[in-house]
Amino acid sequence: MLLATLLCYAGFTALCLSMSRHYGELLHSKLSVNRGRLLRVLGWALLCLSLSSALSAPAWGMALVEWFAALMASALLLVFLIPFRPRLALILAAAGLLLSPVAAFNQLLV
Amino acid sequence: MKEGFRQAMAWLHTWIGLIFGWLLFAIFLTGTMSYFKAEINRWTHPEIPVRSVPAAASIERAQAYLQSNAAGASRWFIRLPDDREPALGVMWQTPGQEGRRGFVRKSLDPQSGEEIQTRSSMGGEFFYRFHFQLQMPHPWGRWLATAAAMLMFIALITGIITHKKIFKEFFTFRPRKGQRSWLDGHNAIGVLALPFHLMITYSSLVIFMSMVMPASIIASYGDNVQAFYADIFPSTNGAKAAGTAAPLTPLMPVLSAAQQQWPDGNIGRLVVNNPGDANATVAVFRSAADSVIHDNGVALIFDGVSGALQTLPTPRSGPMLVSGAMYGLHIGEFAGPLLRWLYFVFGIAGTAMIGTGLVMWLAKRQLKHVKTGVLPLELRLVHVLNVAGMAGLMIAVAAFFWANRLLPVGLAARGDWEINLFFSAWGLTVLHALVRNGRQGWREQLALGALLFAGLPVLDIFSGGGYLLASLQQQDWVLIGFDLTALVTGLFMAWGATKFRPVPPVIAAKSDEQTATKKTRQTGIDTAQLEGEAN
Amino acid sequence: MSHADPTPLLPSVLPFPGGCVLMDGAMMDTSQIKKPARKAKSAQVSLAYRLAVTSRTLAALFGGYLLAALTSVCLTQWLPMPRADAVVTGMLLSFLAYLGAVIWCFACRTAWRAWAGILLPAGILAALFCIGRWLS
Repeated sequence: MLLATLLCYAGFTALCLSMSRHYGELLHSKLSVNRGRLLRVLGWALLCLSLSSALSAPAWGMALVEWFAALMASALLLVFLIPFRPRLALILAAAGLLLSPVAAFNQLLV
Repeated sequence: MKEGFRQAMAWLHTWIGLIFGWLLFAIFLTGTMSYFKAEINRWTHPEIPVRSVPAAASIERAQAYLQSNAAGASRWFIRLPDDREPALGVMWQTPGQEGRRGFVRKSLDPQSGEEIQTRSSMGGEFFYRFHFQLQMPHPWGRWLATAAAMLMFIALITGIITHKKIFKEFFTFRPRKGQRSWLDGHNAIGVLALPFHLMITYSSLVIFMSMVMPASIIASYGDNVQAFYADIFPSTNGAKAAGTAAPLTPLMPVLSAAQQQWPDGNIGRLVVNNPGDANATVAVFRSAADSVIHDNGVALIFDGVSGALQTLPTPRSGPMLVSGAMYGLHIGEFAGPLLRWLYFVFGIAGTAMIGTGLVMWLAKRQLKHVKTGVLPLELRLVHVLNVAGMAGLMIAVAAFFWANRLLPVGLAARGDWEINLFFSAWGLTVLHALVRNGRQGWREQLALGALLFAGLPVLDIFSGGGYLLASLQQQDWVLIGFDLTALVTGLFMAWGATKFRPVPPVIAAKSDEQTATKKTRQTGIDTAQLEGEAN
Repeated sequence: MSHADPTPLLPSVLPFPGGCVLMDGAMMDTSQIKKPARKAKSAQVSLAYRLAVTSRTLAALFGGYLLAALTSVCLTQWLPMPRADAVVTGMLLSFLAYLGAVIWCFACRTAWRAWAGILLPAGILAALFCIGRWLS
């Protein structure tokens, strides 16, 4: 579920950045249409990946519940972090993405 | 017509939120606390020893105790200790007394089998029961709570319909912008935790659906409603007593046999029907922590005299799995520590969603009266209910815990006294809110709440058994966790109180007037912005 | 003026940029209404409005429950499941019917339509139930 959570958070960050208002607030530059589209696709892809990694666990009922919890927790964390610590919000997403191969490897082993 | 629809839904959302907001706030707060019911119980009953005793050993103690104290009972209930509830729970139905009054409950030490002498207190159970019974006589409390749930459901859906920019403003939260921030916060909490809010609300309807929506039961089963319950809870059908005495089989082998059926599961409880009779049966239920689906109807049935396995649990149908899943999701028994804390966080979020709504409703209408400084009666009433319903309720909760530590252990009806103090404190906060004006009311109650909550760990150290120090020594994280949570709550309330710092009157009048004229100029825009949700 | 007429807890009109929209959908441009006329009209509007809201509320509260109950009963009758399962499914889904009924009662254009939207489906559901009973 760690991998799923990291991917959720990263996915939401990408979706957030795909909106020109938030892109401007967080990265202080203008969002081009292509980049926005890319970020949106990336965001959704990460969320889907997160769900599939969660469902790789045998008990799908429990996994689904935990995934929703991770989804909501990461969204709340991101949205309430952005106005107070925007850089931290982005760093967490980047760190999460960097750590995800490790988490994925760990999950495969278990 | 689309414009009219959104506006109508906004109107409905606002009215439901206003009329039932305070009730829903109380339900949500006590419900959220109930996720840690077992932990709160441990704090309010510090005498309960924490021992990890294998289930097999404790079942022998339970049987011995029940055999000597409840030999003539028609049913025995045994709840095995687990990592959250260390006591061995036994309960029996005294023969000849039907209904809820006929049950006797005891907590036993799983190691010695002796009854635990603990202070009489409802503890976490009080908040849990209040949450769905509202301290009202049966069944009115449940009806009101379920009605509130239906209204919450309507408020959620109308809120979603009204929130026009639900996707555009998905990630939007702008603090320090006055009313805009309150609305952003209300929306953010609502949207980001929407799966939780919807689940909690709909599942609470499902939990009491047989009571509030019995039409289909009556239409299908007519007079024989018992047949319906027999159909959905097959494992609770007990054969009638034969009348001939026969010794009850030792329960430990029964437990092992059950464990073999569920190799990766845990046993939760046992129900012995007609103990000591030839027709005795033992029903073994799996622990609620094992599955999301909470199902009381599924059990292994053993013969009570021979100990042989009689019936395997019947596989459940789709509808029963769905309703079981809804019940399970609501009470969250299956949640491990991390997930349980998340349940708690989402519950607090729901509570805050309701609270921010109530605060916003009043703030918007208070604008019109800034110049005169006098609120009309209705708005004054809303203000009093806001302060007492939110800060006041928190004070009452803290007062309950203070009473738990300060009331003498030997006091008669001690448990009732704790509850009386809870309601008395709450009542006093209403009186306080009536006599103090806007900012003072909030500041003083938040400050008092902060003192009471932050003072709980201190109280713990100084009262009687030096509980906090003992927990720190034993690394009892549950008790330490309670004290820490109380401290954090206190700090949060203190921070809230600073937001209502008194402003010198001249400066206040001047700034209020400036804000008022600014707002009047902006009213067209402001109202549009706020009502813009519905446009 | 703000002291003389107390702000009614139930607003007689819904604020709306540029004007007001009454519950019956009629638009009213506040800026053009003269004060004394507004006072007389708002008193008149107020009563009709309050009656309409009360009517819709009753329709939503009781009519909604009736529709929910009839939905559950009808579903139980017609669902091809064992009796207990059909009953449970009927109950599970009944609250959605209640939700729909309440939204209808406040979204439709007049209070009369609210009741029509409750009683007509109720009649149909009752008829369906009776047919189902008679067929089995």
